[in-house]
This record gives sequence, C-alpha cells and structure tokens, in this order.
Amino acid sequence: MTRKHLENAPITASALTDEFMRLKKGSVTRRHFLGVTGLGLAAAVMTRFPGAFNASAYAAEDLGTQMSIATWPNYHDPATFENFKAATGVAVEVNVFGSNEEMLAKIQAGASGWSLFVPTNYTISTYQKLGLIEELDLSKIPNFSQASENPRFTDQGKIDGKTYALPKNWGTTGFSVNTSKIKTPMKTWKDFFEIAQTEADGRAMVHDYQLTTIGSALVSLGYDFNSIKADELAKAEELLIKVKPHLFAINSDYQPSMRSTDAWMTMCWTNDGAQLNRDMPEIAYVLGTDGGEIWTDYYAIPKDAPNKAAGYALLNYLMDPANAVKEHIANGAPTTDSRVIALLPAEVTSNKIVYPDEAALTPLEFGAAVTLTDPGRAELMARFKSA
Amino acid sequence: MASASPDDIEFRSVTKAYGAVTAVRDINLAVPKGSFLALLGPSGCGKTTCLRMIGGFEQPSEGKVLIDGREMNGVPAYRRPVNMVFQHYALFPHFNVAENVAYGLKQMRPRIAQGEIDRRVAEALAMVRLDGFAKRRTHEMSGGQQQRVALARAIVNRPSVLLLDEPLAALDKKLRSAMQIELQTLQRELGITFVLVTHDQEEALSMADQVCVMSAGRIRQLGTPQEVYDRPADLFVADFVGKINRLSAVLEADHATIRLADGTALNVGARPNVPAGAVTVAVRPEALRFLGAGEDAAGRTVSGTVTHRIFLGSGVEYAVDIDGLGDFLITADRGGHAAEESLSAPGDRVRLAFDPAAVHVFSSMDPA
Amino acid sequence: MALQQETRKKLVTLALVGPAGLWLFVFLVLPFIAMVVFAFGKRAPEGGYQPAFTFEQFANLGSRAAAFVNTLMLAPVGALACLLIAYPVAYYLAVKASPRHRLLLVSLVVVPFWTSLLVRTYAWMYLLGARGIPHLLELLGIENVRLINTPGAVLLGIVYGYLPLMIMPIYVSLEKLDRRLLEASADLGAKPVSTFFGITVPLSLPGVMTGLALVTILLLGEYLIPQLLGGGKVFFIGNALVDLFLQSRNWPFGSAIAVTLVVVVVIVLMIAMRIAWRFAGTRQVDLV
Repeated sequence: MTRKHLENAPITASALTDEFMRLKKGSVTRRHFLGVTGLGLAAAVMTRFPGAFNASAYAAEDLGTQMSIATWPNYHDPATFENFKAATGVAVEVNVFGSNEEMLAKIQAGASGWSLFVPTNYTISTYQKLGLIEELDLSKIPNFSQASENPRFTDQGKIDGKTYALPKNWGTTGFSVNTSKIKTPMKTWKDFFEIAQTEADGRAMVHDYQLTTIGSALVSLGYDFNSIKADELAKAEELLIKVKPHLFAINSDYQPSMRSTDAWMTMCWTNDGAQLNRDMPEIAYVLGTDGGEIWTDYYAIPKDAPNKAAGYALLNYLMDPANAVKEHIANGAPTTDSRVIALLPAEVTSNKIVYPDEAALTPLEFGAAVTLTDPGRAELMARFKSA
Repeated sequence: MASASPDDIEFRSVTKAYGAVTAVRDINLAVPKGSFLALLGPSGCGKTTCLRMIGGFEQPSEGKVLIDGREMNGVPAYRRPVNMVFQHYALFPHFNVAENVAYGLKQMRPRIAQGEIDRRVAEALAMVRLDGFAKRRTHEMSGGQQQRVALARAIVNRPSVLLLDEPLAALDKKLRSAMQIELQTLQRELGITFVLVTHDQEEALSMADQVCVMSAGRIRQLGTPQEVYDRPADLFVADFVGKINRLSAVLEADHATIRLADGTALNVGARPNVPAGAVTVAVRPEALRFLGAGEDAAGRTVSGTVTHRIFLGSGVEYAVDIDGLGDFLITADRGGHAAEESLSAPGDRVRLAFDPAAVHVFSSMDPA
Repeated sequence: MALQQETRKKLVTLALVGPAGLWLFVFLVLPFIAMVVFAFGKRAPEGGYQPAFTFEQFANLGSRAAAFVNTLMLAPVGALACLLIAYPVAYYLAVKASPRHRLLLVSLVVVPFWTSLLVRTYAWMYLLGARGIPHLLELLGIENVRLINTPGAVLLGIVYGYLPLMIMPIYVSLEKLDRRLLEASADLGAKPVSTFFGITVPLSLPGVMTGLALVTILLLGEYLIPQLLGGGKVFFIGNALVDLFLQSRNWPFGSAIAVTLVVVVVIVLMIAMRIAWRFAGTRQVDLV
C-alpha cells in the first residue's frame, strides 16, 4: 500500500477543533455553507479600545464606536479591523455571507444594519435600481485613486457616470483538479462535465450557485455564460441533470472535500484555487479555454447604513495601498489597483493562478445582472437540485 | 407422595431476603384445599412477600414453596396454577371489560375456541354480577365494579388457588362489607382455596376460616378467627387483632390472682401456663360491663369516672378513668339503654365488672 | 366581592398565559398571516413580494414535487428507523436498567443536546469522509469506499440527530407503565413475549406516537443534515425554502410552499393522534 499524503490521515481532535474554529470564524466556505447553515452571522466583534489614537484624518467627523460590514468568509486580514479600531476607535462587526443572492435578500428585507458591504459586480446595477445603495461621495475617500485602477475591473461600479461602488479585488471561476487522482489533462468546461461522468465519477463538485453552475454548463455546450434563452437553458438543464447522479456534491463549500480527497475535482474561485494549490501542489487550477467567469467584488454603502461616517472611514482605510496589500496577501485574490500590485511580493504577482496570462482571461465573461433576478435560472437550479 | 398432599399450598422453611433485609424468616405453613386463609399483619410484616412467592413474582431465598404438592421454586408466574387479584386491581387500561377477562383464556395453549372464550367470559362476569358490562372501558367504572372485573379476570382461568392482595383496601366501608360477603360466597361456590393478604383485622376475621397473624417476617399465630381473637398466642396478636386495654401487673403464685400496682387484687381465673411474676394484662373493651346499682361481682369490680363517650350507633364506646388503673376503653351494647338519658355521661361515677374469659395474661418476658 | 374574585381570577390567568400568548401572536400568528398573504401574491421582478391575488404560486407547487416526495418519503422512513433503534434503548432504560444507574444512562441520552446539531453533523462529515471510516477500511485493504454524500449518510445523520427525541417520550411512557400490569399479565399465563406485545407495546404507544410525530414533523422541515451529509444532492422542502427565500428571493412561492408544509404537518399530526386514540384509548394521548 502506498504511503498516503498527510492530508489523508484520519482527522485528529485538534484538527477537528481547528476546522470548527475556521467554521466559527466563517472561513470554511465562501458562498454557501455558512449562509445556508445559519451561521452566516458568525461575527468577529472587535472590542472597543478606549483612548484610541485619533488620527487627524478621522478627527473631522464623529465616527461613533461601532459599525458592521457584510462580506465573504476568509476574505480579509483580521488585523485590518484591529488596526482600524486602533486608529479610529470604531469596532467592526463582520457578517459573512454565502451568496450574492443571500446578501441581496437580507438587504431587501430591510434593516440590515450594515454600513459597508461587498457585493459582486453583476449585482450592483440591481442594488442601484432598487435604490438600496447610494452614490459614493469620493471626497470622503481620498485614498481612492481612479488613475491607478484597471478600468476593466472598475467599470461596473459606475452607473450613468456616477460611482456607486469601488473595487476590492477581482478573480476568476475555473476548476480545481487533483492531478494525482485524475490523469486525463483537462482544459475546458466540456472536459469538466465529461470527466465528471467518467474518470471522476462520484468525485466531482459543482457550486450551489446559479451563476457559475448554470453558466459553466452553458459554456461547455458552446452557449453564452449569461444566457437566459429558454432553449439554451433547457440544454444546460439536460446536461446538469444527466451529470447529477455522478456528482460528489452540489456545494460551494468544496475546500474540505478537496483537501480530504473525498472530491477530486471542483468548480473553484481564484482565491480558493490558490489556497488549495499552495497546500496541496497536486491540486491544479484550470481556467476553461471555452469560457467561464471573471468577477470583481466591490465595496458599497447601503442607503440605510446606520453609521455612514464609519462606513466611509473604513472604505477610505481599505483604499490605502498600504492596508490593501495586507488584504490581498491574506485572501489570495488579485488586486485591481496598480499601486497595490507594486507593493505585492513577487511570488504573489508571479502566481499564475492569481494573475493568469491575459490570453487565459480573454474567453472569460463577467456575470450579467439579469442572471441575478431571472426566475428561469433560479427555477432551473431548483429543478437540478431536487432531481 | 407429593401429589397425595391434601394441601394446596405449603411453605417449607421459607426465608426471603433482599440483601441485608430479611422480609420473611423461616416460615412453615400448610393451607388445606378449599380453605380461606387470611395473612394478617401490619405493613412490612412479610405477608405480601409470602403471597408474591405463591404467585411466582418472588422466589424464596431458602426453603420451598409447594402448590398442589409440586415444588414451585424457579417456576415462573405464567406457569403456576394460581391467579391473583392485585391491589388496585391492575386492570389493562387498553382493554375493555370483556377483553380484560378474556386475557387469561387467550394465553391458554392449546388455544381455546373463541366461542368457548366468550361463553366463559360471560359466565365469569355473571358470577361477579357484571352482566351487561362487557363492552365498558374499565376506567369508566366505579372502584367496586373494577374490583369485580379483577375478580372475574382472576377466576376465569379456574385456578386452584386465588390470591387476593388487599382487595378491598380501596373501597369505601359500605362497599367493603358487601364485598366481604360476596367474596365468601364466591369462595364457597368455586370451592377453591383463597389466600387473602390484609392489614385489616376485621376483614380477616369476617371472611377467612384460617387467620395467619404475621409480624416481622414470622408467623405469630395460625388459627380460626375465634381462636385468634379469643385465645391470642401473645400480646402482639392480642393487640393487633381487636382492641385491648393494657395493664402491667404481677401474677401471684396461684396463677389466678393478679395484683395491680396499687395493691388491688383481681381474680382472672386459672392461668396455669403463665409463669407467676410480672405480667402484662390485656383486657378487651367488651370484657368490662357496667354494673347497675346494687349489682356486684366479687373480686372483679372496679370503679371509675367516665371521661369520654363515643356514640357508635349500634353501641357506645366509653373512656373511663378507672381508679388506680388509668384510662380504659370500654364498649357497651346499647341493649336496654335505648334512651339517651340512660347512657352514662362524662363525669359520671361508674362501677364495672370484668369477664375473666376476655382478660388475657401474658408473661412480661414474652416479646411483644 | 364575588366580582372582585372573578376579576382577580382573570388577571391571574392573563398574567400566566399573557406573555406566551403575546409572544406567539407576534412571532407566530402574525408571521403566519403574512405568509398566507404572501402566498397569494406575486414575485417582484427583482425578487421579494408584489401585492396581488393569484393562485399562481399554489398552481406551481408541482415544480417542487420532487422535494415534497423526498421529504414525505424520508420523514416517515427516518422516523421509523429512529423508532426501531430507540425502542429497545428506551425499554432497557425504563425496564431493565438498574435504578441506580438509570439517571446517569438517561442523561447520557440527553448529553448530545449540549452541543449544536450543526457541529455534531460536521463531525459526521469527517467520520464519513475520506479521512474517517473509509481511511480505516483502506488500512484493512478495502479501497475506495464512499460513505459521505450518499442517501445512507443522510439517513444515518437523521437517526443520529433525532434518536434522543424518539427515546425520551418512549422512555417516559415505559417508565410510568404500571409494573403490576406486567405481573398481572404473567399471572394470567402470558409468556414474557406475549406480555411485551400484548401489554407493554400497546401501553407505550402514546410515547411511540409522540416520538414518531415529533421526529416526523421536525424532519418535514429538515434541511441541514441532507445539505451536509447528502452533498446538496438530496433536496427537501426545507432546502427548497432556503433557496426560495435566500437565493431566488421568491417570497410568494416560498410562502405558498411553507403554507402547504404547515397543512401537511397538521394532517400528519391529526393522523397520528387518530391512531394513538385508537390504540391507547382517549386518556393518555399527549402528543408533542
């Protein structure tokens, strides 16, 4: 019998505790697990720091003592909020979410209590249309530099020339493959869905997320990632339902299963792909040559934010390249700001998972706003899951 | 040899211990076929344990229990030819009356035909005068009716012995008297042995033809009700069966005269079996009789003052402070004293004579 | 004076049931009314609720037929599986265990409730995952066993999670079972097996029905265990509701499904009570 990788060892009590602590901190899944399990509000409240240093930049306005932010799990350097508290005296409560849909659902229901949140590109126009976010007052965010931003990733924050959201970072949606288990080389989403039914039978995972799961199925069939055409969706549905019995899971919480090698292949976001590859080099990250998603997560301020001043202060703090660079090192997603790139260590900027060649990005598409609200895609997803 | 035994139930040196506690100690007892035995005693005396050893719910620690001449040690309850009427009846709440009564018949192997079961259930219900109640739910019935269902259920299997565990304890007084007569009648009709456990001496005396008085795991006296009442074996039996007034005295060498603390001598008749010396005298309340004016009973007369009068209807109980002896309980027939004014009243001075036959003398050496 | 007494009585009653009543009204009755209203509405284009009066949502229930079928199959199957395991345990605890150890043993049944079901289910993910039992089997030479994300894993999780809820009511009904009834049965010639099926089982039915109803009803709303141990491939009504409210934000349709689920629960309860009545008489039925 071959000697197993360390990751294959039965989990120890301390490892389980670690996993649970990760779960509690909200770092286990990005878009699904916590939201669905109701732990989505797992919060890290930084205690107040009396007599905190008052930098002159923040002294102009009363920031209060507390604010809350809605974001994704494992997406920030925890030190960021501690430092912000030290600088301003404002404690930040962090709410982590499982999906954009869920974030929208919460803010739509009213009284979210957030003063800052992190929606993904394709949702911003809907927030604006529903009047849930307001135009940003850029004079309160002097650290933001339009000039150093890559317009490819910042466009969707602007509507009719007004800026509603500022970019946090961008990323891609590809798939991770455990190459010690799957020997067939894979390049496309077509490969993904074929191998899922053959070599990776019972070992492949897709997201519990309409945008990427339906989008990737569409791409593998040669259709547009964002299609809402009934006949194309019907074909995608046919494929997904055919693949379903062969899947290991429909779950956006794929890191634990990939690490335990229960799953050998999964739809995957840049930052997770980078983390998996860093810890288990045999897990490769693949961008489909036939298409896929490229995305940007933004910062926006809800119209009903209870502490707008603190929201702006935190946003400005995060736009400071010196602070932002720590965020990028922590979450592994690529930045949109050339000032930050200049500060990143070479091993990050040269990582092809984080910063792929331009050619690899060419076939990728941004998610379209219409997919967020299209009932057809939501129903397709429900039929797929319940089939 | 064994099957020739005329006794339905026999205890041979039976001891039952629960850990360090001995509930029954070296009991020997034979219950002849067709008799009605009452195990009488205060709670904790071991009477219920004896009954449960007959029923098979307990096994003796030592000794043997025989039923119909067969040794029963190790034989489970469901293989014994006895049936029990449980305290509080233990009727099955999910069955109606007929189903409760039929339960035992349905356990019989080979199976009994349904028609036969129905016939015997009806017969048993008729016997306890519950015809027409077959479909009733048991919890809709009165205590007396439930009691009859329990009886019917226990006799329908035609056991050779019927065990009754405080069967009348939950009934009111009037119903209890009626049931006492019914149980006696039933026993005569069925002609089987009844073993009754009770702490109520009146119940035991009125129904049983053999009374076994128990205390602290031992048999104190076994005899007919009259024997037990009139010739109690010891002070315990005298005290437990019926009421007594208790006196400390000295029995003189003539074995007939007792001398009280104040020097009064009373002639109680010859007591050859009681050693002379310190004795305890038990006097039944009915042994004392009021003397009319001018009446006399030489050597057996005492005087006292009435302190309380308890009117019982059929009779009267008096508490009398007898000179030199203290409080005595005395029961008197109403007899000729029909009119209220003819009864003695608290404060009256009275003279009383006692009947030596109802005075029991026990050596103070006896444990009681 | 009498009037004052009456008023006092009413005030005491109000003080006793008032807080609970108010709580239930605000957090159960009002939301339920809102849900019924929503169920007849329409989904707003960007999600949420748009006032309308239409049966459209109910007409569309068929699109979640698979979720209803899954749930209505799994809930009773899971409850029965719980029952088969729980009954002997409850019987042992109530009848056979020595009184000295009984309290300890019973509390051991309850101990798992000290930890959240989420964490315990998460632990099962590891036990059933490749680093858990399959790894041990691998050491024994049995390769590539997959336990996690199978219907069997979901059933295991359900039985594990709900077992105490089944054991406790059965234990309680067995524990208050009058031992003299068992003696009476033996006395009447019934062998232990006959006593068990003729007396013990029927008289513990109220507990059994309580357990079945409790577990079945909770399972009708279950979504966590299928999600975590079924890999999201086993889809229950609970999962459908989560998706409708948190993903596609189709409140009216979600409300229609929720209302339907409540109706199903009420029907299940009524059937359970009817059965319990039939078997155990009217006295001892104390469901939920």
